[in-house]
Amino acid sequence: MENSAEMQRFIEFTADSYLNITLQQEQQKAMVSEMVGKLTSVCWDKCITSTPGSKFSSGETTCLTNCAQRFLDMSVIIAKRFEMQ
Amino acid sequence: MDSFSSSSGSPPNTEALMDQIKAQLAQAYAQEFLETVGNKCFAKCVTKPGSSLSGSESSCISRCVDRYIEATGIVSRALFSSTR
Repeated sequence: MENSAEMQRFIEFTADSYLNITLQQEQQKAMVSEMVGKLTSVCWDKCITSTPGSKFSSGETTCLTNCAQRFLDMSVIIAKRFEMQ
Repeated sequence: MDSFSSSSGSPPNTEALMDQIKAQLAQAYAQEFLETVGNKCFAKCVTKPGSSLSGSESSCISRCVDRYIEATGIVSRALFSSTR
């Protein structure tokens, strides 16, 4: 078959793209995990001031949620601040 | 996919490579998580290290680990919930 060389190239191209896409996906997942980990650390220090009990108080839960979301807001503001220059 | 993998070695190799990368990432993440939890809970529960871990320190540590895992879930949900 004269198409076999072309077929081979197609297969290699497909495998290559597959690897690239899955690598990108894994990279994104790793970035998300890292961010969740970092934010948990920061917000834990801010919100959990007493020794940990058997259950979070509603205040602690709210604090953790607000802390994470405000951190995101802040990141946006800082990014914009540097875009302006 | 099977007809492809029989005519070329690339797709199975690619998948094996990806599995390896995923496993390594998972291991690195678990390692970092353990280190962080250890630091946080040591700071909270073992304020004055004695000659051995007391019962109250041990139970504090196990509660602390549970809470830290819960906190990770709360933060993750706060970031990705649609209600933002």
